[in-house]
Amino acid sequence: MQFGIFTVGDVTPDPTTGRVPSEAERIQAMVAIAEKAEEAGLDVFATGEHHNPPFVPSSPTTMLGYVAARTERLILSTATTLITTNDPVKIAEDFAMLQHLAGGRVDLMMGRGNTAPVYPWFGKDIRDGIDLAIENYHLLHRLWREESVDWEGRFRTPLQSFTSTPRPLDGVPPFVWHGSIRSPEIAEQAAYYGDGFFANHIFWPKEHFQRLIGLYRQRFEHYGHGSADQAIVGLGGQVFMRKNSQDAVREFRPYFDNAPVYGHGPSLEEFAEETPLTVGSPQEVIDKTLTFRDSFGDYQRQLFLMDHAGLPLKTVLEQIDMLGEEVVPVLRREFEALRPAHVPATAPTHGSRITEEAR
Amino acid sequence: MTRLAVVSAGLGQPSSTRLLADRLAAATAGALPGGVDVTTIDLRDHAHAMVDATLTGFPTGPLRAAVEAVGEADGLIAVTPTFNASYSGLFKTFVDILDRDSMDGRPVLLGATGGTERHSLAIDFAMRPLFAYLRANVVPTAVYAASEDWGGGERLADRVARAGGELAALMGARPAPPKVDPYDEPVPFETLLSGTARS
Repeated sequence: MQFGIFTVGDVTPDPTTGRVPSEAERIQAMVAIAEKAEEAGLDVFATGEHHNPPFVPSSPTTMLGYVAARTERLILSTATTLITTNDPVKIAEDFAMLQHLAGGRVDLMMGRGNTAPVYPWFGKDIRDGIDLAIENYHLLHRLWREESVDWEGRFRTPLQSFTSTPRPLDGVPPFVWHGSIRSPEIAEQAAYYGDGFFANHIFWPKEHFQRLIGLYRQRFEHYGHGSADQAIVGLGGQVFMRKNSQDAVREFRPYFDNAPVYGHGPSLEEFAEETPLTVGSPQEVIDKTLTFRDSFGDYQRQLFLMDHAGLPLKTVLEQIDMLGEEVVPVLRREFEALRPAHVPATAPTHGSRITEEAR
Repeated sequence: MTRLAVVSAGLGQPSSTRLLADRLAAATAGALPGGVDVTTIDLRDHAHAMVDATLTGFPTGPLRAAVEAVGEADGLIAVTPTFNASYSGLFKTFVDILDRDSMDGRPVLLGATGGTERHSLAIDFAMRPLFAYLRANVVPTAVYAASEDWGGGERLADRVARAGGELAALMGARPAPPKVDPYDEPVPFETLLSGTARS
């Protein structure tokens, strides 16, 4: 199992002090969080991509390239890369370059984006969202695998004899996840290519995601990539921990109550009951995370959202330390003990994909 | 068994809106040949949960059960008090929470209550367009009950009986259209790629 952090990169006032970090502070905080993730023994750091305030990460490969230079082991990823409004040619180039700079420690997650105006800002129509995701990724997939590409589609300028450079490191494209919270079409797409499927289930009840992941697994098998339980699944998570459960609740409540996504709605207790949110002791986080396997089967990647809703950097870094010291080692052991031998332990890495290629 | 869902947006306890909803339900049940399973939903009971659902995007607990009951019913009776010449905000909030397409082709009977009969057309200029947008199959007779109708002889009873008969006929005439479940029957990738999936 791979464990990591994913960040939205929001600039949100700290509701307990009213303090708003500058963009410069927030960007440096994201880098510090990535470095802390490696130091704490986590495997993955993934950044979101946004093109509107209050979010800062508009240029993920720039940030990840910088993080690559300051880390040794960490896998650098995205959550998500907008396959709808970015030019797939530029994605192919940017992430191949990042692969070279990071020595292969790169994968990425495709997403459609849910901010309506981003589509027209980039000359696209949100009603074409699924079609854009399907067509653009199909081109991206070819650009990484074929030296010379002739292409004509609905959404971008045709290509004749186009070679995307640099070529993927060692001739092996980065592993790709497809992230979706509501579209069976994207589960179908991930299954067709034998790519990973990431369900960021942190804001909704599990029943919905059981159907989405169930569909992905079943179609993964249908398309001949292995048995349903060998499909590569990633899940989100959202936690806040203190040694004593009551302290965690007391400290996190103002952040919950004012959070951009669910603030001023249900109580923390109600929301934690219905979604993966866990606010409590490290043991409670372990217990809740283990239930994900009961709901969705053995899975390969667990990403936690730690740095949102205006939490100060110092607190976030403490949280990542606790995750690395008290939670993840136990989860690694428990998940590994439960995993059947024929099910992949982790998502494919650059190294494992080279071995696979050579076979 | 035939399933009938009844939604009342009345706020009072007791509520004349609920009273009208119950009479419409009884008239419909009486006009259906077989047995009928009636689920009545008082939106007042779900007021907090409805606001939460609009913020989080998912209904929880008893509200989720209510949304499912409406989605699975063979027919729906929807009754709202008239506020400022239209349906109440609570009523619209519930409609906004319903699953997309869940009203598609569904037989629906509309009702409203109000202080005076001056607002009786609110059903026709506010409720009917809403349910037309949802592609519901709304019966011709809708029932508006003003305060004075509750002491007005048989005329309200006649309208209730006619409306209930119309809904029962529609529910009996045609089973709800089958739904395609995109998880049970996914669009194959080749179809998605050829761009013909939605044309």
